[in-house]
Amino acid sequence: MAAGKRAALPLVLTASDLLDGDVVFYAGAGWARGLDEAAVAADEAQAAQFEAILAETEAKGDPVAPYLMTVRIDADGALVPGHVRERIRSRGPTIRTDLGPQARQERQHVSV
Amino acid sequence: MPLLDRNGWKPESWARDAAAGAAIVPFDQVEAVLGARRPGQRIGVDLPNDVHPNALLPWQDGLDFVAIAFPRFNDGRGFSLGKMLREQGFAGTLRASGWIIPDQFAFALHCGFDEVEISEAQAQRQPIDQWLQAPALIGETYQDTQDGMISIFKRRRAAAEAA
Amino acid sequence: MYRYDEFDERVVRQRVAQFREQVGRRIDGSLTEEEFLPLRLMNGLYLQLHAYMLRVAIPYGTLDSRQMRQLALIADRYDRGYGHFTTRQNIQYNWPRLRDAPDILEMLADVQMHCIQTSGNCIRNVTADHFAGVAADEVEDPRPTAELIRQWSTLHPEFSFLPRKFKIAVTGSAEDRAAVAVHDIGIRIVRNAAGEVGYRIIVGGGLGRTPMIGKTVREFLPKDELLAYLEAIMRVYNLEGRRDNKFKARVKILVHELGAEAFIARVEEEYARLDGPSLNVDPAELARIAAYFAPPAFEALPEGSAVLDQAAARDPDLARFVRVNLYPHKMPGYTAVTVSLKPIGGPPGDATSDQMRALADIAERFSLDELRVTHIQNIVLPHVKLDEVPQVWAALVEAGLASANAGLVTDIIACPGMDYCSLATARSIPIAQEIAKRFADPDRQQLVGPLGIKISGCINACGHHHVGHIGILGLDKAGIENYQITLGGDPGNEASLGERLGPGIDAEQVPDAIERIVDTYLELRHADGESFIDTVRRVGLDPFKPVLQPKEPARAAA
Ligand code: SF4
Repeated sequence: MAAGKRAALPLVLTASDLLDGDVVFYAGAGWARGLDEAAVAADEAQAAQFEAILAETEAKGDPVAPYLMTVRIDADGALVPGHVRERIRSRGPTIRTDLGPQARQERQHVSV
Repeated sequence: MPLLDRNGWKPESWARDAAAGAAIVPFDQVEAVLGARRPGQRIGVDLPNDVHPNALLPWQDGLDFVAIAFPRFNDGRGFSLGKMLREQGFAGTLRASGWIIPDQFAFALHCGFDEVEISEAQAQRQPIDQWLQAPALIGETYQDTQDGMISIFKRRRAAAEAA
Repeated sequence: MYRYDEFDERVVRQRVAQFREQVGRRIDGSLTEEEFLPLRLMNGLYLQLHAYMLRVAIPYGTLDSRQMRQLALIADRYDRGYGHFTTRQNIQYNWPRLRDAPDILEMLADVQMHCIQTSGNCIRNVTADHFAGVAADEVEDPRPTAELIRQWSTLHPEFSFLPRKFKIAVTGSAEDRAAVAVHDIGIRIVRNAAGEVGYRIIVGGGLGRTPMIGKTVREFLPKDELLAYLEAIMRVYNLEGRRDNKFKARVKILVHELGAEAFIARVEEEYARLDGPSLNVDPAELARIAAYFAPPAFEALPEGSAVLDQAAARDPDLARFVRVNLYPHKMPGYTAVTVSLKPIGGPPGDATSDQMRALADIAERFSLDELRVTHIQNIVLPHVKLDEVPQVWAALVEAGLASANAGLVTDIIACPGMDYCSLATARSIPIAQEIAKRFADPDRQQLVGPLGIKISGCINACGHHHVGHIGILGLDKAGIENYQITLGGDPGNEASLGERLGPGIDAEQVPDAIERIVDTYLELRHADGESFIDTVRRVGLDPFKPVLQPKEPARAAA
């Protein structure tokens, strides 16, 4: 593999919003607040494209601190971050399930 | 490279060329160049930031100029170096050279620097008004400074004694 | 308490305006993220796992009710209605937005507070004994010294871009409650043979990846020489501290690599060339600062309190609270009350805005309008009349703040860990919560006696695990959270670093392991109530090692 340290496939591109600090995910046409809206790179060609967007984002500095993150796709087709740190980051604190994206998602679930 | 001081951009009057009338030379050549100095020639030195100021003591009276390297803006050794050179009596022009940002300009002036030399790209990104405005943003210091500010500690005493 | 004069006020206000302007230049692209980073850090603003985080300084841990109410208001207006008190006498908000940060700083300035140098590679918030001005064993109140250092180090032109962060702690008591031995510089206020007050200066302590106990570099520094001497230390560190490797950049590594003697020689050489008289402040200025910390107007009261004794006799919960959470005050009839932010099952150090307001009200009515924040992540009401303890206790019960566990096994220090911190390798808070639940029974806690458990979510050791009687360090083992246990650490006078008990264990195993460590201690301790740390020092780690073996395999097989 060319990039020895790059996150394994499939992967998404994530960062933090400059003004709000919210966790954001590259969603093709822009950046989304929810992992479920993230664009997924499933092969090397797409990953290379994401790396280019990563470099562009870094140069632009908005959103901030971008990086690639490995996900898996569960039985329902939902994206699940590979590492526990990324799972917590994409949902919110495990000790305060009323805060972070998980609270937003829960509200959505309730309304369904 | 673009050069500025507390009044704005300024033209370069030094050259990194040992033969120039105002010559900046690397630190390790300072002894040789001073030994061969032409009458009227002004000599300055490029000082890396890992050289102790003591090392400049033997030459500093013959020098008109010292440029201290700031390889990265968050490497703060140059601030101590500049201040220490001033404290040990260096009276020539002191330049911060490399990467420092407008938000550090006040610190550089407080530590005894006269001027700042930055990259072309940085000058594009950080126009002169940002440099001139930055030092004015904090008008008080708790330290005596090389550019003439008196510490708050002392000004309080002065105020108390005047009252 | 210290009050800003016009100069202090202007510096803080100008600093806020400067940050507002810096944010503007970040947004318009004049400053890159790389350049902006240290500027926002030096104003307390981090980018964390879920959001920005703002760290507010509570210098030497002292604040009044007005300031506490403002902290509550900020929590409500700009955050999520709570704050987290840290091990360095700061409060952190976990959800502020960059766009709001200048307004928050403005609100802090309104009550003479700030976030200056609560992060970044500079001299950080100066901490001090939380029982300053209370403890009977005090040579002198450490806070005037801490305030002097706060002012001198603020926006210091030479020392704002150091190799790494730099932490200073001051204590004025015989018993060290400020952990001075594990700071970059620890200062002990001492008396010399001639009876003069001065400073013992300790350099190069620290936790993190390479924990070290600091070395004494001056046994006795005359009091009026402090700033010049500190300037000499900082200069040597700024010029010679390593910048090639961030894990070797703290002053402890420089002291270690040079050797204490060579380091001292460098400092003394620099000290000799500095113009001391121009750096040190006039004694009249020292006296001006010290005057703010003069003892408040205590009433002349008798020793002890019949009112309290009778109330405690009626109510066993109050009696327990009195036994556990009160600290003796130097003035007769007064006491210092520890308000534990460690309810069983709660995140250690968190307080809601309502609780902050309740604390402000209680302090205003019953504690001469003063509060302290401790490095154990609790709050202290420093000057409470013994007679009024029952009222204070009732108000604390009302606010959900009456946990009677100060210094006990459930008074756990835990850093935010992976629930909030972007550097974390494992979670800390849920581990603390689970352990606390195991020891929820107050009788059991009292039976166990003083025991400090400290938990960090990564090697940076913000939870001070190395100096926990029991230390827990969360690591990442192939993507799974894994916890290393150390025993025998202590932050106090006989500062020591804990030793590793054995291989790391999974999160689910930690509460069992801690229970078995405590059970082993109870079996081993001398009948006179020998404390946990004394027992570990006497018997060593060996008797505790079996606790890490999987429990009861025989029953599983049966
Ligand atoms: S110890 Fe590590 S995880 Fe805990 S707060 Fe510090 S940096 Fe974060």
